[in-house]
Amino acid sequence: MSEATAKRHMGLRASRAVSNTFIHVLLIVISIIWLIPFVCIVLQSFRVENTGPVGYIIPHQWGTDNYTRLFQTDFPRWYTNTFIAALVTAVLQTVIVLCMSYTLSRFRFKMRQPLMRFMLILGMFPGMLTMIILYRVLKDLGLTQANAVPGLILVYVASSGMGYYVSKGFFDTIPMSLDEAARVDGATRAKILYKIILPLSKPIVIYTVLTAFMGPWGDYVFARYIAFGTSAGKNVAVGLYDWLNKDQISNSYTMFCAGGVLVALPVTILFLFLQKYYVEGVTGGAVKG
Amino acid sequence: MKKFLALLLTAVMALSVCLTASAESLAGTYDITVWVAENAVSLTEKQIKDFNESNTDGIVFNATIEAVSESEAATQMITDVEAGGDIFCFAQDQFARLVQANALAKLGTKAAEAVIAANDAGTVAAATSGDTLYAYPLTADNGYFMYYDKSVIPEEDVDSLEKLIADCEANQKYFAFEQQTSAWYLASFFFATGCKSDWKTDDEGNFISVNDTFDSPAGLIAVKGMKKLVDSPFHLSSGSVNEFNSGAAVVVSGTWDYTAAKEILGDNLGATDLPSFEVDGKEYHLGSFNGCKLLGVKPQVDAVKAAVLHRLAQYLTGEKAQMERFEALAWGPSNVVDQASEAVQANPGLAALIAQAPYSVPQGQIHGSWWDIAKVIAEDVKNAKDEAGLQQALDNYYDKIASLFKLDTSALLFVGAWNGWNNADDTDTYYLKDGSVTLEVPQSDYMGGRIVTPGSWDSDKGFLQVTTGKELIQDLGDDVGDNNIVFLAPGNYTVTWDGAAITIAAN
Repeated sequence: MSEATAKRHMGLRASRAVSNTFIHVLLIVISIIWLIPFVCIVLQSFRVENTGPVGYIIPHQWGTDNYTRLFQTDFPRWYTNTFIAALVTAVLQTVIVLCMSYTLSRFRFKMRQPLMRFMLILGMFPGMLTMIILYRVLKDLGLTQANAVPGLILVYVASSGMGYYVSKGFFDTIPMSLDEAARVDGATRAKILYKIILPLSKPIVIYTVLTAFMGPWGDYVFARYIAFGTSAGKNVAVGLYDWLNKDQISNSYTMFCAGGVLVALPVTILFLFLQKYYVEGVTGGAVKG
Repeated sequence: MKKFLALLLTAVMALSVCLTASAESLAGTYDITVWVAENAVSLTEKQIKDFNESNTDGIVFNATIEAVSESEAATQMITDVEAGGDIFCFAQDQFARLVQANALAKLGTKAAEAVIAANDAGTVAAATSGDTLYAYPLTADNGYFMYYDKSVIPEEDVDSLEKLIADCEANQKYFAFEQQTSAWYLASFFFATGCKSDWKTDDEGNFISVNDTFDSPAGLIAVKGMKKLVDSPFHLSSGSVNEFNSGAAVVVSGTWDYTAAKEILGDNLGATDLPSFEVDGKEYHLGSFNGCKLLGVKPQVDAVKAAVLHRLAQYLTGEKAQMERFEALAWGPSNVVDQASEAVQANPGLAALIAQAPYSVPQGQIHGSWWDIAKVIAEDVKNAKDEAGLQQALDNYYDKIASLFKLDTSALLFVGAWNGWNNADDTDTYYLKDGSVTLEVPQSDYMGGRIVTPGSWDSDKGFLQVTTGKELIQDLGDDVGDNNIVFLAPGNYTVTWDGAAITIAAN
């Protein structure tokens, strides 16, 4: 190796090192900015010397008082409400969405195209517009206030059929010839869905479950409206937000943070384990084979 | 046998009718929902239990108590009055909205008399719309005063805003007093110089007139004082004592923060009335709003239930219940007997509130938009470069207040500079919509003013619409400056506007 090539080689390595360092520093800065709020909430939830908002981040005294206090309030009830609503919605919505997508992907029936277009247009109206009417309907059914959970599940699940786009797109990528082969072997349509399509679309199933779970888990607007004036019907978002009222905040701020941590926990765990599938699911539907 | 049976049945029926008629007809078990602040839930539970045990009429309440923040009660209630709490507590600023939404049941004559006799006049005014009492005063502690850190602020400086600011700046500590973020606190400066913003509501809770003097020479003095504070780099627009944790030495807040402040500062905590500020060699003591919490009863379909709910409301706001609330939660009572008690007088937070009381203004009914309109003054004052800028801040405010009523073309704009526009110490502006005002016209060289219907500033509609009392005034047309009428003699006049005609009568 001549001296000149060695020099060039060194230069290249050096410049790569510089750009790598720069990119890493940038990424570290961005992730610090992104993580600060989360770190703050976690740290504040362990602060015991004062229960209100303060001007520093690291607690002077550490302890789990906030978590103990949290369980003496209605928080467990709110948590259960949210969990039930999210779980039931996740199951029902997944079943509906998958059936819908399968039907629209595999069946050819009259009005199929108009129906899809109609749902597309319907989906363009913001759901919030229907809030007041829905409230009246649910109230007449006795599903508001303390009975808000079944009412909310009804609302969340009711329109889920329209969210078929991603999974239909994914099903479209599975070759029709597989279905045909199964049909020749005597499988019913339902059997094809269970035995062939679903095992092949694990990512999209998981994606559907996750999105269905996340909706109710973080819902505030509908939940607030339907559970108004009762503690028993609140979900975590509504219950926790109420602790930030002027007359409550100095007593409940750290408890609010502790609640926030507990709310984030199951979702974080879920995402950690299902992350691989989730990414596949999000991008999977976009590729048409 | 049959006859005997019939006789027996009739006897039983007659007996039962007699029994129910003779026993108190209110007896029974009632399922009700009560909304109170979260920290008052357990106390309210106990108080309702006490009521069940102590009343002699056989009234038993089976109460579901829900924690609903007092500052949120109106919003929650208006969502669906039908499904709202039967009895609910709320901060007084939501009163007008609740009356308009028919969410409050009127008090009966007897109950009203008892409430008026037992409670602080300011709190009664807060529960009154027109001539009707709609709610029960619950507390009288919704006012603010000053908390300070004794280790930073010397005792002798607490009476002067200028010294306090200097102390904070010298020690690199913050002076926390909400200005840009809250009209409730900002009004403090205006009350100091004697400005007022008096709003009137009719029996249905609608706003019919306002007498607002923020845009006046006195108002200009107020904003000069305010500028001293908001211009300081150590001013913080916050009303939370938690600022003591983040480097504040002074926090203006109320009794609700006492425990939290004590926890942070311990023995270094000082609580006292607000300071004075100086403009052109004259001292002005900062004023404050003096507000309260109220307890309301929702209108009921069932008259008997309504009656028992009012009984409970009276109990929950009575002398004993208010004292219990003071003992358990340190809520300042509105009941005059409780207010005079030694225990209440000895509470440091309430003592500071009482010290501030002579400078405070009872918070009556205030238009919901006022809070947002007035809040802007502080930002405008901070940005103002000179006196003209300060005046501009007041003018902006004035225009927005006027537009609240101008939007309604049936309103009457009544601008009086009854002793002349140019030496207007006493410029009064009334926006009248269906109602009347009393004008004091002092003896002076020039007793003129202007009456116009909004949007018709240049026309002479004012005089033309006077149907009765034309002889008391002289029509100036549009010729004489800004005035279109002039009173012929000094005195008190009542001006009434019914949407079409103006009546002027000498009192």
